[in-house]
Amino acid sequence: MTKKPIIFSYKQLPEEIDIHDFKNISFHHHLRNGDTVLNNVLQIYENEHVKKLNLFPSAIFPAYTKILDLLKNNQINGITTNYMNGPVADYLSHQPLPGKITMQTHGGRARRILNNQTTLDIAYIASPYVDPYGNAIGYKGKSVFGSMGYAIADAQKAKIVVLITDKLIDTKLEDPEIDGSYVDYILQVDSIGDTQGIVSGTTQITTNPIGVKIAKQTTSLIKELGLLKNGFSFQSGAGGISLRVTENLKEEMVHLGITASFFSGGITQYHVDMLEAGLVDKLYDVQCFDLAAINSLRKNTNHMPISASVYANPEDPNQVIKDLDIVILGATEIDYDFNVNVTTDSHGKIIGGSGGHSDTASESKVSIIVSPLIRSRIPLIKERVTTITTLGKHIDCLVTERGIAINPKRQDLIDKLSKTNLPLKTIKQLQEEAFKYTKQPKKLKKYDTMIGDIQDRTNKIIDHLYKK
Amino acid sequence: MSRSFLFLPGNNPGSLQNLDIFNADSIIIDLEDSVTFDTKDEARDLVYHFLSKFMFKTPSIYLRINDISTPFFNDDIDVLDSLEFKGYVLPKATKESVISLSKKTDKSIIALLETPMSLVKSEAIISLKQVDAVLLGAEDLTTAMKIESTVSRQEITYVRSKLALECAAHETLFIDTPYTDKDDLAQLKNDCLQAKILGANAKSIIHPNHVDVVNTVFSPTTHQIANAKRILKKAETHQKGAFNLDGKMIDKPIINRAKNLIAQAKKYQLL
Repeated sequence: MTKKPIIFSYKQLPEEIDIHDFKNISFHHHLRNGDTVLNNVLQIYENEHVKKLNLFPSAIFPAYTKILDLLKNNQINGITTNYMNGPVADYLSHQPLPGKITMQTHGGRARRILNNQTTLDIAYIASPYVDPYGNAIGYKGKSVFGSMGYAIADAQKAKIVVLITDKLIDTKLEDPEIDGSYVDYILQVDSIGDTQGIVSGTTQITTNPIGVKIAKQTTSLIKELGLLKNGFSFQSGAGGISLRVTENLKEEMVHLGITASFFSGGITQYHVDMLEAGLVDKLYDVQCFDLAAINSLRKNTNHMPISASVYANPEDPNQVIKDLDIVILGATEIDYDFNVNVTTDSHGKIIGGSGGHSDTASESKVSIIVSPLIRSRIPLIKERVTTITTLGKHIDCLVTERGIAINPKRQDLIDKLSKTNLPLKTIKQLQEEAFKYTKQPKKLKKYDTMIGDIQDRTNKIIDHLYKK
Repeated sequence: MSRSFLFLPGNNPGSLQNLDIFNADSIIIDLEDSVTFDTKDEARDLVYHFLSKFMFKTPSIYLRINDISTPFFNDDIDVLDSLEFKGYVLPKATKESVISLSKKTDKSIIALLETPMSLVKSEAIISLKQVDAVLLGAEDLTTAMKIESTVSRQEITYVRSKLALECAAHETLFIDTPYTDKDDLAQLKNDCLQAKILGANAKSIIHPNHVDVVNTVFSPTTHQIANAKRILKKAETHQKGAFNLDGKMIDKPIINRAKNLIAQAKKYQLL
């Protein structure tokens, strides 16, 4: 293995790489709002007036403001990502790109990169701990962020791979997450970002009474479906209600004396606590949501970083979520056919994206949406969602504070629950309950200028984004 | 009979909209302490329009109006009394204020006893036929007495016992003071048990997350239900009055208690 060439500043990048020729560039979002790499790299593209760029960040957070400057300079042709929120998303909702926006899933993105349907020219990979041979891990260094899951496919397939690091060690790393054989350059900088920025506002267990009630109903649903048994597997994400369900399940598991086989996806302190208490055998971590998760990844051998492909690529033989029993997910809107929107608000403004939503809903044995029936006077349930993020055929249950709706396609679940005391209702009944308080919202104006696609993990285009 | 009386602020549409989802047996919509002086009219209007549009069989709805010394007392009753709700919670209740309120309404009255003098004269208030329940307001009481509120609640043992005894004597419901730490559910349970042991029939609540604990503590236990069933079954075959069960004498008061307990268990869907 050979040592990789080292670049000592962002400004030196154009001297080493022809950034004008290679237009498809990717980034990962593991540092979330703490990331400074994306902005610093794109500053060079702005300085060099590079045009017709196609960006492939795995997600776009509010801190990624340099994208906005490039958009205003008309330097960007297209953007492909799994999630976007903040000023860039606001701007793109109103200003069409010359190309288009493509919203993918975590598993779908990895799949398309690995089977060469997506061509990446340069992958810029923020890496907290790198050796001279280009091996890297995410859970050591001064700007740690934990698992490097979303960057691994990029490293394997991009024509040019640049690791950007603020910690270059002298000795060879064993068992790296990014294998140095894929890496072309190491860019050494003072800082790749602020670890504190990975903690989002949603990674706190909810104490909101509505959320507590929904979590309690969800826990009862899981029990009544007979899913809470020794060796079950579970994914909760980092939403406040989901974490409350996790906490409730922990109490039930202790009471019943059972353990889970694995938890997957984004990992938080709550999942780590259960691993360390011996309540779950393994954590498959594609993304750390807090500092406790990073520390655990460093010290617990049963807390394992996994790539986005191993996490959710349907073509990956080791795909973790194919063995998932239960996933708890959120929704901005849900419709009569159980289609879920977490991509836009009801006016069509982009506010998120699938991430792993559609992947896990597709694969898990039971997918459960948890959400208040009314949020800020807006009812959750619509006749048709504004934007389909996850197809209704993959969604099994909806739990709200006023009852539980089961997708009629899951007659097996309905049969299991028919003799329980759970407050089962149809999705239309739940909608009517919400309308008692909100009345039926006015139908909003339909927009007709298409600005992007929603791409399912199967490569199908399942919906479009429209200019507001 | 209710186990739990959940206070919800009368100036918060979100709370009102969800008042029926928290499993509280009774809701107390508050127009007093949780509403600032300059928004009293606003809150009263909101409650008026809400209760004009939505009617509830369960939970039972009470309104905590402003006390008689304020200019809002009469306005609250004049505007709201025609609506469908169970009754009033009267703050800083005295014998005189209860009588004044009862002249203006036929609805049920819960007397909120929260001043040292109201506790001194509590039996005179409890004995009024218009009073269906009393609620102990320990926070205002301890403040007025210049004593600390403690975790053990030792400081209110006497007033709890006094009210429990007087309420039992006059067949009036005794509602215990709320527990104020929103997140400490373990200590909430201890507090409920302590109140129940002293004779409280129910508890007031200031956070919806407390409802389940309160309902559980103030519900008959599985063991109590099983025992009551055995008593009633044996009573059916013993027409003579007293009989022996597991070495204990069972007589009419115990049989009546068993009947009440089974009625409660049915009401709370525990059977």
